Amino acid sequence: MTIASWLLYIIVGAHALGALAALGLRGAAGRVLGATGAGAGSLATLGLGAWCLGTGTVLAITAPILPLTGLALRVDGVSAFFLIVAGVAGAAASVYGAAYSAHYEGRYSLRLLGAMWNVLLLSLPIQVLADNALTFLMTWEVMSLSAYFLVLTEHDRRETVRAANWYLVVTHAGFAALVAAFLLLAAGDPTASFAAMRSAVLAPGTRDAVFVLALIGFGAKAGIVPLHVWLPMAHPVAPSHVSALMSGVVIKMGVYGLLRVSLDLLGGGPAWWGGLALGVGAVSALLGVLYALMEHDLKRLLAYHSIENVGIIFMGLGAGLVFQSYGLPALATLGFVAGLYHTLNHACFKGLLFLGAGSVLHATHTRNMEELGGLIHRMPRTAVGFLIGAAAISALPPLNGFASEWLVFQALLGGSTIPRAEIAVVMPIAVAMLALTSGLAVACFVKAFGITFLALPRSAEAAQAQEAPLAMQIGMGALVLACVALGLAPFFVVPVLGSALGGVGGLPTASVEFSLGTSFRVAGAVGQMSPLLVALGLALLIGLTLGSLRAFADRRLRPGDTWGCGRIGHTARMEYTATAFAEPLRRIFAELYRPTQDLSIDFHPASRYFVESIEYRSAIHPWFEQALYTPVLRLLRGAAHRVRRLQAGSLHLYLTYMTIVLVVLLIVARWPR
Amino acid sequence: MRLFAKILKVGLVTEPLGPGDDAVVRVARAVEAKARKLLGRAVAIREVDAGSCNGCEVEITGLMSPVYDSERFGIHFVASPRHADLLLVTGPVTRNMEIPLLKTYEATPDPKVVVAVGDCAQTCGVFRGSYAVVGSVDAIIPVDVFVGGCPPEPADILRGILTALDRLPVRKGRA
Repeated sequence: MTIASWLLYIIVGAHALGALAALGLRGAAGRVLGATGAGAGSLATLGLGAWCLGTGTVLAITAPILPLTGLALRVDGVSAFFLIVAGVAGAAASVYGAAYSAHYEGRYSLRLLGAMWNVLLLSLPIQVLADNALTFLMTWEVMSLSAYFLVLTEHDRRETVRAANWYLVVTHAGFAALVAAFLLLAAGDPTASFAAMRSAVLAPGTRDAVFVLALIGFGAKAGIVPLHVWLPMAHPVAPSHVSALMSGVVIKMGVYGLLRVSLDLLGGGPAWWGGLALGVGAVSALLGVLYALMEHDLKRLLAYHSIENVGIIFMGLGAGLVFQSYGLPALATLGFVAGLYHTLNHACFKGLLFLGAGSVLHATHTRNMEELGGLIHRMPRTAVGFLIGAAAISALPPLNGFASEWLVFQALLGGSTIPRAEIAVVMPIAVAMLALTSGLAVACFVKAFGITFLALPRSAEAAQAQEAPLAMQIGMGALVLACVALGLAPFFVVPVLGSALGGVGGLPTASVEFSLGTSFRVAGAVGQMSPLLVALGLALLIGLTLGSLRAFADRRLRPGDTWGCGRIGHTARMEYTATAFAEPLRRIFAELYRPTQDLSIDFHPASRYFVESIEYRSAIHPWFEQALYTPVLRLLRGAAHRVRRLQAGSLHLYLTYMTIVLVVLLIVARWPR
Repeated sequence: MRLFAKILKVGLVTEPLGPGDDAVVRVARAVEAKARKLLGRAVAIREVDAGSCNGCEVEITGLMSPVYDSERFGIHFVASPRHADLLLVTGPVTRNMEIPLLKTYEATPDPKVVVAVGDCAQTCGVFRGSYAVVGSVDAIIPVDVFVGGCPPEPADILRGILTALDRLPVRKGRA
């Protein structure tokens, strides 16, 4: 027994015990023990990933557990990396969830929540370890369904059921594409191992079909435009630690799958594969952040940012695929490393932000930013955690979002070394779109943090908010540390990622491309960056400012009201709102949003100079989704209507169908060939 | 282009000032010297009309007119009490302006001085006893200097400002 296999048994055992404890025990004991099992399993997942990545262990296990074929598991660099992603986010979210789910007590099923949480956390490591098509697809389905049940936790709300249904439909449409892709890859044999698929020689047309199907299937899970519709519905209604895990890790399984199929199993392909991934990535990034700007539901805003960040990750992967097809392995590695680095970073900061939003929701019972405000005084630790997460997702140095987005930029700029007209057009556009996305993300998080945490409370709930329980603070604190550490240490993370990718899909094993000291250089791309020096500079600047304030400034304080031009009825309702903050951008991008405004004023019957009430409504109409989904939905509804004639509800009719099908099958089976 | 043409055609409209030809300029220079000594910069003034007949405002506006152009001497009218060293209050305080005046006073950073301009600010003038008037300025906020007159002349207002500046504490490091 090696350490790695022990760790694998611990993962399975901890999650199984956690699920059993959650199912069997009532009240707080079940909740805490379930979360303990989940947390321990996640830590073991993290340990397995780190161990395998650190020692280069390749662990392969086949067990005849599943019917038809063995359960085949194998760890390589890429799966070890995703184990770390799942472990970090899973452990933090489990600790958080132990306290967060307490307020479900007596209202919703804690047993189902605890058990499904463990099942989901167990399915994630198995997913990335799967080494044959059947294991992969079955785990995929377990993951999707357990996530579906977790989304359904608050099942008595209409919007929850609607969101869960959308999620189920989109994810199963994607699953169908994946089944088709794997059947094509394995030439019809679902038990084929990944090793057999790697060595299989496929016709170019088949390879293209596999790639496109995989992009659709994994894209539906990852939430790339236009398959993103389920994401902004499902994430807000799920419990917050579930949102954190789904946004941080579950949608990243789409990234993992695409990387596994396109790079590892297919071994790369023509340049248009990468171009397609780059294109959908760029569109997702831009549309995601544009929709996030208009959103005033805190968790839905974060969900749209998940679309944006998955887009950025896809841009990195797409650039990698393009470079690989042009025979530039160093730049290709850079692209993939950038994408993977951003995957890990996004799991950390988006997990942190969802946990922070969950604490806000827990304290105020509202997700609407227009009713929040002033929380920095009542929930200072949550506010600091959210601020760090917001700075990281806005790609501000020296935090982790900056390091990986900078790498994506470097990879895209490296495209200038390819002397092809289409590359010369596409890459600069991609760079520009990424730059616009980053800028808009900053604006969006200034809004999210400023409106939620600063100024005065806009509602009684926000005024009476209390700081989150200790376990929730610990969950957030762990991710804060991860965000800072990953931001400061790209000189450590990047070579590790480079070596993890080594050998996969013909990428070079030696990671000579990343020569490192404190400053940061990449071959083939011109750029240097040292997050450590940036951090030191920032610390120096802040120290100087604080020091000179302390030394020279008059520090007598006299708290007073905000200056409102001496207005007498000065209330918190006159504060800057999220809608007002986003208004300039709504005007600029009016073509996309198609905003409508509705203003109705009730005047006093005696004079039009006296207003009794004003009502203002404003909505945006994303025509893009409507134009895309309305015909599809209409078609589906029509088809369902016709199928209903067959399913008439009569038992006799169904028995007749079965008899007919049985007779037909018998005839087919006995048909002489 | 028409703007430039007009600038050229009209030329300078401020009247040339001889050295010490005017009481206002003498006082303004004194204010400048004092502000420089006390604050190291221009003195920032926030004007509050607490309900005056606007006669005082006409005279105060005169200070900023091309004739006196007291901005030259570092007498700077600002748009928010947050920026101000000195409040210039006119008129009897009406009911509607009582709370805004108080809020303005509270919003002005310390150290600050208040100059009440005009007879009304001191005695409510002809408006005394009106149902709409609360009282004189010093009934609402502490006043450092009263400037009498209905309305006072610009030179008197400047003298009031000069006197009020004397009540500002001397800052650390400035003799």
